[in-house]
Amino acid sequence: MRPDDERYFARLEERLDEAFEVAETAKAQGKDPEPEIEIPVARDMADRVENILGIDGVAERVRELEGEMSREEAALELVTDFVEGTVGDYDSRAGKIEGAVRTAVALLTEGVVAAPIEGIDRVELLQNDDGTEFINVYYAGPIRSAGGTAQALSVLVADYARALLGIDEYHARTEEVERYAEEIALYDRETGLQYTPKDKESKFIAENLPIMLDGEATGDEEVSGFRDLERVDTNSPRGGMCLVAAEGIALKAPKIQRYTRDLDEVDWPWLQDLIDGTIGKDGADGEEGGSNDGDDGDGETDDANGEDEQAGDANGDEGDDDSAPAGPLRPKPSQKFLRDLIAGRPVFTHPSEDGGFRLRYGRARNHGFATAGVHPATMHLVDDFLATGTQIKTERPGKAAGVVPVDSIEGPTVKLANGEVRRIDDPEEALAVRNGVEEILDLGEYLVNYGEFVENNHPLAPASYVYEWWVQEFEAAGADVQALDDDPNVDLEHPDPAEALEWAESYDCPLHPEYTYLWHDVSVDAFETLAAAVADGEVVEGVLAIEHTDEVARALETLLVEHAATPDALRVPTWRPLARSLGVDDGLRREWEGADLPREAREWDGGDNAVKAVDAVAPFEVRERAPVRIGNRMGRPEKSESRDLSPAVHTLFPINEAGGPQRDVAKAASTMDDRGRRGHHELEVADRACPDCGTHTYRSACPDCGTHTEPHYECGDCGTVCEPDEAGRVECPRCEWEVTAATYQEVDLNDAYRSAMEVVGERESAFEILKGVQGLTSTNKTPEAIEKGILRAKNGVTSFKDGTVRYDMTDLPVTSVRPEELDVTADHFRELGYETDIDGDPLRHDDQLVELKVQDVVLSDGAAEHMLKTADFVDDLLAQFYDLPRFYEVNERDDLVGELVFGMAPHTSAATVGRVIGFTSAAVGYAHPYFHAAKRRNCDGDEDCVMLLMDGLLNFSKTFLPNQRGGKMDAPLVMSSRIDPSEIDDEAHNMDVVRRYPLEFYEATREMADPEAVEDRIRLGEDTLGTDDEYRGFDHTHDTTDIAMGPDLSAYKTLGDMMEKMDAQLELARKVRAVDETDVAERVIEYHFLPDIIGNLRAFSRQETRCLDCGEKYRRMPLSGDCRECGGRVNLTVHEGSVSKYVDTAIEVAERFGCRPYTKQRLKVLDDSLESIFEDDTNKQSGIADFM
Amino acid sequence: MPLESNARIVGELASRGYNAEREAVTLLAGADDAAAALEAAVEAAPDDALRITTDHVRAALDDHGPVSNDDSDGVPSGQPPATPANDDGSPVETKGSGVADETEPTAGVGADERPGVREDRDGHRDANHDGHRDANHDGHRDADHDRDPSRRELAVGNDMTGHSTGTGEYADFVRTFRDRYERLSGLLRGRVNHRPAEAIADMPGGSDAAMIGLVNDVRSTKSGHWLIELEDTTGTFPALVMKDKGLADVVDEILMDECLAVEGTLADDSGILFADSLHFPDVPRTRVTGGADRHVQAALISDIHVGSEEFVADAWSRFTDWLHTPEAAPVEYLLIAGDMVEGVGVYPDQDEELDVVDIYEQYELFAEYLKEVPADTEIVMIPGNHDAVRLAEPQPGFNDEIREIMDVHDARIVSNPATVSVEGVEVLMYHGVSLDEVIAELPEEKASYDEPHKAMYQLLKKRHVAPQFGGHTRVAPEERDYLVIEDVPDVFHTGHVHKLGWGKYHDVLAVNSGCWQSQTDFQKSVNIDPDAGYAPILDLDTLEMTVRKFT
Repeated sequence: MRPDDERYFARLEERLDEAFEVAETAKAQGKDPEPEIEIPVARDMADRVENILGIDGVAERVRELEGEMSREEAALELVTDFVEGTVGDYDSRAGKIEGAVRTAVALLTEGVVAAPIEGIDRVELLQNDDGTEFINVYYAGPIRSAGGTAQALSVLVADYARALLGIDEYHARTEEVERYAEEIALYDRETGLQYTPKDKESKFIAENLPIMLDGEATGDEEVSGFRDLERVDTNSPRGGMCLVAAEGIALKAPKIQRYTRDLDEVDWPWLQDLIDGTIGKDGADGEEGGSNDGDDGDGETDDANGEDEQAGDANGDEGDDDSAPAGPLRPKPSQKFLRDLIAGRPVFTHPSEDGGFRLRYGRARNHGFATAGVHPATMHLVDDFLATGTQIKTERPGKAAGVVPVDSIEGPTVKLANGEVRRIDDPEEALAVRNGVEEILDLGEYLVNYGEFVENNHPLAPASYVYEWWVQEFEAAGADVQALDDDPNVDLEHPDPAEALEWAESYDCPLHPEYTYLWHDVSVDAFETLAAAVADGEVVEGVLAIEHTDEVARALETLLVEHAATPDALRVPTWRPLARSLGVDDGLRREWEGADLPREAREWDGGDNAVKAVDAVAPFEVRERAPVRIGNRMGRPEKSESRDLSPAVHTLFPINEAGGPQRDVAKAASTMDDRGRRGHHELEVADRACPDCGTHTYRSACPDCGTHTEPHYECGDCGTVCEPDEAGRVECPRCEWEVTAATYQEVDLNDAYRSAMEVVGERESAFEILKGVQGLTSTNKTPEAIEKGILRAKNGVTSFKDGTVRYDMTDLPVTSVRPEELDVTADHFRELGYETDIDGDPLRHDDQLVELKVQDVVLSDGAAEHMLKTADFVDDLLAQFYDLPRFYEVNERDDLVGELVFGMAPHTSAATVGRVIGFTSAAVGYAHPYFHAAKRRNCDGDEDCVMLLMDGLLNFSKTFLPNQRGGKMDAPLVMSSRIDPSEIDDEAHNMDVVRRYPLEFYEATREMADPEAVEDRIRLGEDTLGTDDEYRGFDHTHDTTDIAMGPDLSAYKTLGDMMEKMDAQLELARKVRAVDETDVAERVIEYHFLPDIIGNLRAFSRQETRCLDCGEKYRRMPLSGDCRECGGRVNLTVHEGSVSKYVDTAIEVAERFGCRPYTKQRLKVLDDSLESIFEDDTNKQSGIADFM
Repeated sequence: MPLESNARIVGELASRGYNAEREAVTLLAGADDAAAALEAAVEAAPDDALRITTDHVRAALDDHGPVSNDDSDGVPSGQPPATPANDDGSPVETKGSGVADETEPTAGVGADERPGVREDRDGHRDANHDGHRDANHDGHRDADHDRDPSRRELAVGNDMTGHSTGTGEYADFVRTFRDRYERLSGLLRGRVNHRPAEAIADMPGGSDAAMIGLVNDVRSTKSGHWLIELEDTTGTFPALVMKDKGLADVVDEILMDECLAVEGTLADDSGILFADSLHFPDVPRTRVTGGADRHVQAALISDIHVGSEEFVADAWSRFTDWLHTPEAAPVEYLLIAGDMVEGVGVYPDQDEELDVVDIYEQYELFAEYLKEVPADTEIVMIPGNHDAVRLAEPQPGFNDEIREIMDVHDARIVSNPATVSVEGVEVLMYHGVSLDEVIAELPEEKASYDEPHKAMYQLLKKRHVAPQFGGHTRVAPEERDYLVIEDVPDVFHTGHVHKLGWGKYHDVLAVNSGCWQSQTDFQKSVNIDPDAGYAPILDLDTLEMTVRKFT
């Protein structure tokens, strides 16, 4: 580690220590459930893993292996140790496997989640029908938090152990195979899966897996066929098993394959079929729009057979190695991302559709780690539906990505109402012309970094021809690029046409991308027509005017040639490169005849692609400008909001029903009981005893002498007073059951409330309302001090279930920042230890680009405001409750710079310390990708929270956590004070950190090579691990002016109701050339409206009812009509309104967008059903009765 | 183009005054354009011929180029040269409980003894269908059986079509359940001395008490007993069934929201009733069953699923062909218990598996298939869950648009469920969606897909076709509970589960009539092997049933 990094961490830890000191003093006063800070600092991952598993020796062995190999490999290596007995103390074979599997999951989750202990119940040996033994792994629901990769790898680990122990493979019986398919489908219906394998896929997996997957029943529904199987002990879906099979094996097949290749003992050849997606394809969606040639099928089977060579052809299409291909190499369009399209979330590009986002390779400084760079002008032009942090579901290389603004790529091209076609590279211009846009011809470029393809093990898709590629070819062709670059009269990236043509002709180098048009999108016919039209045109004042015909206009629009239009003429200002590409010289003489076009050019891609034609007639080489379009649609909107329980909670103090639906403590405190006493309630709270005076109380500090009290465990049955054992479990020695300290006590809430206000010196007028909870869900039901709630209410913050104040933000990565864009100054940065900019120059100006340190975070404006309030709350708490000096003393948000926060992701149990360095107007949390990875998040639309350090230290307590399974998730049980890059989610290691991609990379994309093929040529984060450079040198290929460009909020959040959103969505679909609006309408109806109507209709006809007065629920309408509890009015929970709310809209949309008759008829049948249920036949004008 | 069936060709020829050889008919049916071929064959026949022979047809087909492509087309493969009805149409002994053996002769009961609503349909049918019927009479006249429409009696009860008055309000639901309670509790009042829940709560501990109520909750207690909560209009009261009472078997059969009577002793604190016995409304063991006063039969079918890729058109045509044979002459009634067509949007991505994607075309095609049935057959249809009506039960008969499409044979289209009185035999028709739930809830030996009639026994026992609310079955609230089986039928006819099964429960013949759709992918995925292509034929005079197989 470099001294610089040492200093950085020392600085963080110094501030951490300061906070700890204050918090310890405060906690020692005994006013909290525990008299000490409850978030310990963890040394490293090995520690965490060993602690969570409770297997001695794992930490040591993990540390040994860590330096040598990746964690996956270490997990597999540990299998050998378990099998040989050198790690773990297991006698049985099942035990050894169990230890290995748990350790693997713990390792892969960095020991921060509960999945290894709660998600794997047991491993057992069972018998195949032929008498041989096989392994059954028994999963439980919390395996979910391990994530697909760890789930899948747990199976691989089990199989590896199986092979080492010489146990046979599992041979599924036919009915078991069928059961898997039915069960996974049922689980998906009931609970939902990220990825739903088709039945055939599920069966395929079940047939081929050498390990039996089993698990706890997690649902009430039961399968209808394949019940009561001998080897499956439940008829309900087994959630853990379904997750492992679907989101693990099926979804992560490419990842597992990487490891099966390296293991001799394990051979899963069938994974290739899963990856190719050939399973379950035949029959169902056989038609995939625009798949290029018929050779694909053959290519795939070839791959499957001769894969062992692993020459670098992992996926489908590149199998055709015919000598004269009939068309260009393209990745196969995939419809998957369009599944479950819902109303209000628009499609931006249909699968691989012309006019859609053009794939450009590179990494911007706010990019990588499952994000997609989009031009801010595009964000505005798609009616603001895209904003920084908006999640999109994408066609490739991954499944989803977070959108980031990058303005160093090309913007969109639009056709304006006056016929003008213009590319827009300026967000301001986009806003200015937005209302006049008739059609969005092209959405601009879409930046994806190389590492994304590595991470997803996706073959490289052919690259767009862009400046950074061209310039390397130019240099290779012998040009003195350095000299030209230094020449102030030459703009290498945006040369004028004459220069570009000069270069193309005098060097043996393809035409500059600036003047390379999208020839691959026009047909040879259109090419000829255009060439003829240009030859027939005339040049007036340097502008080419050609006759305005629909065909020619369409060709220019498709090629993205900027031009103006009058009814008679199309005027192309920059025409020379176009003419030359068409084989027309500067004097508008056409230099070729139709017969001159070689057959190959004419028949290339069935005549739909004019690239070869250009090659044949142009005096220079022309590369494919944008061969690959990336389909995508909106997923979730970005998020930046405080985390509030529903209803919001200020204090974790129970007030039963007395507070009303608002849970108003003041109201509960003033409620009169039968005996006329105010605020007396029977509350279920902890029984605690004062060790000094023996007083019993629910409070954490003795009301009589102020001493810290301890929970008092008295067996409810026999009255024995019990003590907790070493593990913290309390069991009655006589009755042998678990004893808790929770008891029903009569509490004078009025007194508690008033005296709490007195303690902190506040009046009721200091806050609007103080909200408590109805009841506590923790084991011992220890309530929080009301004082804390009063101060929270006063400062306008609320508490999460664990006592902390949290703010949620969508995660986005950033590796270099400018102080200016973060609304801070270079001075601030220097105070935080930043000394130089990315080029090593001293940091002086606010606009210098500085490489971000790993634990520094950028807060959204909303988060900053929330943290300010939290800081005030914490200060008040210290001053008014603990009688200690204020800690933060913040006045404005600049004061937060340098303060520490916790980052904490859902489903994890470990917090990571971060430091605030600035603010952004985007509604996201920008931070170093390694910081996000340390929390086990990537940036594809995931969100997590920040907490203020001192708030966590003072207010978090494990005693508040709910006692159900999974209750310990999302709570900071441990904290990592510094990030070790080797111990984070390895997805972040696949991010590339270079300034430019080499020429070989671009060449490799043309062959659709495996990303591994160029791995040596492009440095990834992975390559720096364990070196001095592991915390620095995160270079990027593309800059962006500001990391918060484009709209601050997605239109999805600013538009009103669902109808408004959907109208905007359909309007956009109409405007974008790459989107088929009928398909969008069809899908919205099919995947959103119809399921909604059908679901609500079903719910209506089997609904529960509820008493309007007391809230009592009834499974069926009471025969008495009124509430049996209180005599109040009972009413339905599903009304006509919620059933029929979308029907009219859906019918209207189906009509307007020309949906299929099938869809229209489904709507009609439903509409009739609604009428039949909700209308009285006898009230109609004419009825069926007339007919009878 | 629907398959041209033998029956239609026979009819057409007959209308032109020709009789025909079987083989000739088969040949015509196999022709590409049967109508044209038929024209040609008639043309080819000598003027004095009364009977169209294979020679005539061959001659016609040879002249008539486009009719037949090659030789193999002459005799359609898959159809044996001889008429299937003769070879394959014999009654099969598949599942079920062997009706013929069990049925006691019912000859003693004359049709006249029972009230039967007689429909005046004179003239109406004759006017419309003269040609067809005469044709049939000429061609296939059964010497022993006279298909005399004037002797027919058909009446429908409990039909709520056009009377769906519910508007989906809370009060509608309450009214429906109260009606259920009132009518079903009435059946139990004679057997126990009912006390309202409210009154029982006030009775002294230890006293004997009985209560009739809808089941509000059933659960087993930790100690292995069962707690049944019954509800009447005054409130709820819990009854405890001790595990040693020998009632386990009965408790197993209980479904939520059915009507039940419990007799027992109140606990000392009057908080709970210790049950001694449980009573279902049930069907009385001794009962006078109905029967026609002549030899006449009804075919009970369901689940035709026209429009599905799996619709067994061949089997259907064999069935309708058979209906034209002398043997089938007594079959004057055809009862169809729902799912005429495969429907649209019944399950996700259904369009990918549909042969006919358009719902109206499905019904049009169904109507075409229905035309194959002898024109003078009385047809009664109820909708099922695949049909284009609401899914919530009771389901009214089809809307006018679809009725017009199916306007052949003047079929009676009534609601699901409905009671049909056929020459004195009361047939309760219900599509059978609740069978799924009964089968899922009850132990295998009491109800299973392999023995669907046993599930039907349960419904008869409960005197309600779909008792359980809130689960599988959907309820549309109406002014009364149309799903109550108020009058005991002679025959209970359902479909839906696509399995053939029949048997008698307390002298009620329960028939689940199989289907006309071969195994679908979904059925395969849930391990159901359907019984496709069977037609149960019921003797209306003896209530004996035989099942004919047409696959």
